[in-house]
Parts: sequence; structure tokens; C-alpha cells
Amino acid sequence: MNNIVSCEDLVITYQSSNGPVRALDGVDLTIAEGETLAIVGESGSGKSTLGMAMGRLLPSEAGREAGRLEVDGMPVFDMARDDLRRLRRDTLGFVFQNPMVALDPTMRIGRQMQRAMGRRARAEDIHALLERGELDDPERVANSFPHQLSGGMAQRVVVAMAIARSPRLLIADEPTASLDASIQDKVIGTLCRLRKESGASLVILSHDVHMIARHADRVAVMYGGRIVEQGTTARVLGAPVHPYTRALLKAAAGHEKPGEWLTPIPGTPPLLTGRCAACSFEPRCSVSRDICRSSRPKPRTVEEREVLCLLAGSEAERKEVAQ
Amino acid sequence: MRDSAIPAPVVDLDRVVVTYGGGLFGRGGFQAVKAISLQIAPGQTVGLVGESGSGKTTLGRVCLGLQPLSSGTMRFCGEAFGALRQRRGQLSVVLQHPEWALNPRLRCGRSVEEPLVILGMPAKERRGRVAAMLENVGLDAGFAERFPGQLSGGQRQRVAIARALITEPRFIVFDEAVSALDVSVQAQVLNLIRELQDRHGFGALFISHDLAATRYISHRIAVMYQGEFVEVAEAARFYGTPEHPYSRKLMATIE
Repeated sequence: MNNIVSCEDLVITYQSSNGPVRALDGVDLTIAEGETLAIVGESGSGKSTLGMAMGRLLPSEAGREAGRLEVDGMPVFDMARDDLRRLRRDTLGFVFQNPMVALDPTMRIGRQMQRAMGRRARAEDIHALLERGELDDPERVANSFPHQLSGGMAQRVVVAMAIARSPRLLIADEPTASLDASIQDKVIGTLCRLRKESGASLVILSHDVHMIARHADRVAVMYGGRIVEQGTTARVLGAPVHPYTRALLKAAAGHEKPGEWLTPIPGTPPLLTGRCAACSFEPRCSVSRDICRSSRPKPRTVEEREVLCLLAGSEAERKEVAQ
Repeated sequence: MRDSAIPAPVVDLDRVVVTYGGGLFGRGGFQAVKAISLQIAPGQTVGLVGESGSGKTTLGRVCLGLQPLSSGTMRFCGEAFGALRQRRGQLSVVLQHPEWALNPRLRCGRSVEEPLVILGMPAKERRGRVAAMLENVGLDAGFAERFPGQLSGGQRQRVAIARALITEPRFIVFDEAVSALDVSVQAQVLNLIRELQDRHGFGALFISHDLAATRYISHRIAVMYQGEFVEVAEAARFYGTPEHPYSRKLMATIE
């Protein structure tokens, strides 16, 4: 299988008034064609930066410091303006968290759809596309302004627009975080069905582990601007080996027994100003050793997944976990 | 899920109806809440789940005395609710976005202190109470001097909770209070609410679309659908198989 995205040691830094903030601290990631990958992490872990980097949609204060990012074989950070436009238009489709921000409030849905589809799109085409997004009564929707739609309907419109030009890679940043629980799953279901029909790849950025467990083929867990664990969903969420992944699953409500307390992760995520010389999770880790403070972990394969932890898989660590 | 005993309720709703719009005698209006009865005991949390438009927020407003009833009665601590002014400091609310609850131009300490100013407490006493309350919610006293913009989402929600608790209210509505927070921070805030309730014994209504968080924090859960309760049961029920098909559908989203 070919890779639609390949990313090597990508470093992205934001220049702020308080000095540089390193959002990505060396990301290695590949996304195969036709797969659904979920990137999980807390806010500030760098997942949105990584998602936006795939379309070079980062704000002007963000710059690539090192590394390489290729989408569909094209170096995103070293390409001409026209090529970049073509890439964004024909290869990528984006779905953002809040549909009301993604849609233009002053324009009817039909006209916005037409802009996404190209000038030759006829009313029937627009209606057909809205129908593919599982909107009943597409005619009424096309004649509406965004504020006349519910959040779920508006997000379906955004999904329909994202697939308008049959992209090869769909990037969904917290696509359901602003929607009600009862429709979240349906909207994700629509997104996954459309992905399957078109054979595109899908990247979901989210912190909702329940949703990810149901829909993703592979999971990449992000922390401190690096991917600390990645592998198939069943391996990573079913039997996590990185202490952070374990802590994250323990903190999420849903798997506790009645009367049990959840275990929050102590401390706060790091704000990096430069290359992290040690394990970035060490200050919050419950099983850390001296070595974690002095050396930067390299990707290793442990139990059929790639992990960034000096201790994962070792005897001592296993004992600690068993306790 | 938590154990519960049931003394006299803090909030007692008896066949409450709320109709929006409509003509003379309420004809043709939209019934947002249809003949709902609910009791919330001190120290008890009732979870309220349901999709948007099911009437969750309207019911929350009813419990806070902000929503005129079309029919039915609402009693607070065993008495008629009366004027909102009489209930100063007895009710509180924590909203989804702490940004909505905190004035961005006031230092956090001042925001937490404000309800006490309105109650007319002397300044000296106020200062001590604010420091104690900030510590209560796990923030050190230095946070009183900071502005909301300088805090993270979780810290801001703690400040909002401190502000809601400062008057030691008997009843608090949490309207999607953890929905905007990260998973790890969510757990911290949920635990905080549980601890504070054990200490202060307030009754609470926890409105959320997230069943996983709701059953964790609640003693009882009411499932609302189109303005009616389709199921009211002990939270333990929602760790197994609830009765109503709609509840089961909600359960499917967290498995």
C-alpha cells in the first residue's frame, strides 16, 4: 500500500511575544491510502498543528524548523504557491470542530456548496451531494443560511463540502466536539461511510477515546509534540504500553465500575521552548526512572506497535503496572 | 454512581409544564417541558441526559427559578420558591464555558468574591473566605491576582466552581460543566465536584449529553426525550442495561 502522508522528524515552532513555542518536536508518521487514523491527545499536545500542517494551513507565526512532510508525494513545505493550491483543492478535505465558523454566515448553503464544487455544478448536483451527506430535504438546506440549520445539519453540510472534489485525504479536527452526544456518532458514521465509498484516507483528531475505538483502524497518541504510541486501535487502546496512553484511558469516564473514582493525570502538559532532551511525560509519569530525565526516547517497537518510552516493555515496568 | 439516602428535597417539582409561545390559553405553543415531577435531595446529584431540544436546559432554568411555569408547582427546601431576590446565595450555576461566567477584566479573586459583596458581607471576612474557597477547589492563593485569560481551561472552570460555591448554596446546576474540557482535566473537575459535595452537602442537577460523565457523578439519572422523562433510575442502572430503548441508545455511544 502507498502512503498518502509521510512525515519525518517534523518540527514546528510558533513565534510568540514570550519567545518560541515548539508545538511539534519531531513527528514521525505515515498514513496509508484508505486507512482511518485517529490522532489522540490533550489540548496543547500538537495534534491540531499536525493536522493543519498537512495542508500548510498554519498561521504566519508558525514555521517549520526541521523535518519533512509529504502529502501525496509532494513536499508540503517546499512547494510553489500554485501547486499548494492544487493540493488543497484536489487532494485535501477539511472538517473543523465548529461548523458555524467554517460556513459563511452571509451566504446560502447552496452557493457555498457551489464554490466548493466548481462553477459548473448545477442545482441537482448540489442536492445530490447534500443527500450523500445524509441530509433529507436537500432543497430546503441549499436555500438556508447556516444559522437556520442545527449544529448536526451544519456539520453534515461541511462534510459534504469536504468531499465535493473527491479528496484523497480527509482531515477532521474534533469533528463532533461541538455536537450533541446522540448525533455525534451518526455524523462520524456518515464521515466514515463517505470515506469508504471514495477510498480516501481519513485522519480524525480527537480526545474522545470511545469514538475513536469504534471508528479508527489505527491510533496515534500525541504528547508534548511527539507521537508517543502508535499502532492498530485494538493494540493501542486495548493493551496500551506507554504510561501516558494508560493514564489517558484511566482518566476517561466510561470504563470505571460503579462507585470507583477516576484517576486524573497529575500536573499539566509541557510547553516546550526548544528540543526536549528527555522524555516529555516524565514529570507526570508514575513509573519514571532516572534515565527518563536524561535521555530522549527514540521510537521502538514493543508488542506490535511503535512507542516512545525508555521503559515500555521492560520487566521492571511490567511489574509496576501489575501493581 | 454513588450511594444515597433521601431527606427532604432541596428542589421539588410537581407536574411542571413549560410552554413557549402560543396564543391565548397557551394553545398552539411548544411544550418544552411536559408535566415533569422531580425531587433532588440535599447532597444528591441528579443527572439529566438527553439530546438537544429535549428540554434539558429549560428544566435547569426551572430549577433555578429563572423560568416562569405554565402550570405545576416548584418548591425550594420545602417552601414555595417566592421571589428570586429572596433566594440570593442559595442557588448557583456552573456553565459549559467558564468564559461566560467570569468577567475577563476582573481578577479571579474579585470574580469569586462578587457574590459575597452582593450578600453584604464585610470586606475582611470576604478575603478569608475567598482564599479558603480557592484552596478548596485546588488553586493556590496566587490565582486570586490573575486574570481569567492567564489560566488554562481547567483552572478557569475551577474558578467558576469556586464562584458558584462561595455563598455555600444549597443547590447548584451544572450545565454541561465538563463538556468543553479535556479528558484528563474532566476527571479532575468531576472528582472535585464529588469531593465538594461530600463536604458541603449541596443538591445538584448535572445536565450533560455525556452519559459516561453523568453516571460517574450522579446518584440518580433522568433521561429526557421531547420534554418528558422516559426513564428515571439509580445511576447503577446505567452501568448495566437501562430499561427504555432510548436510554439504551444513549448507552451505545459510550461503549
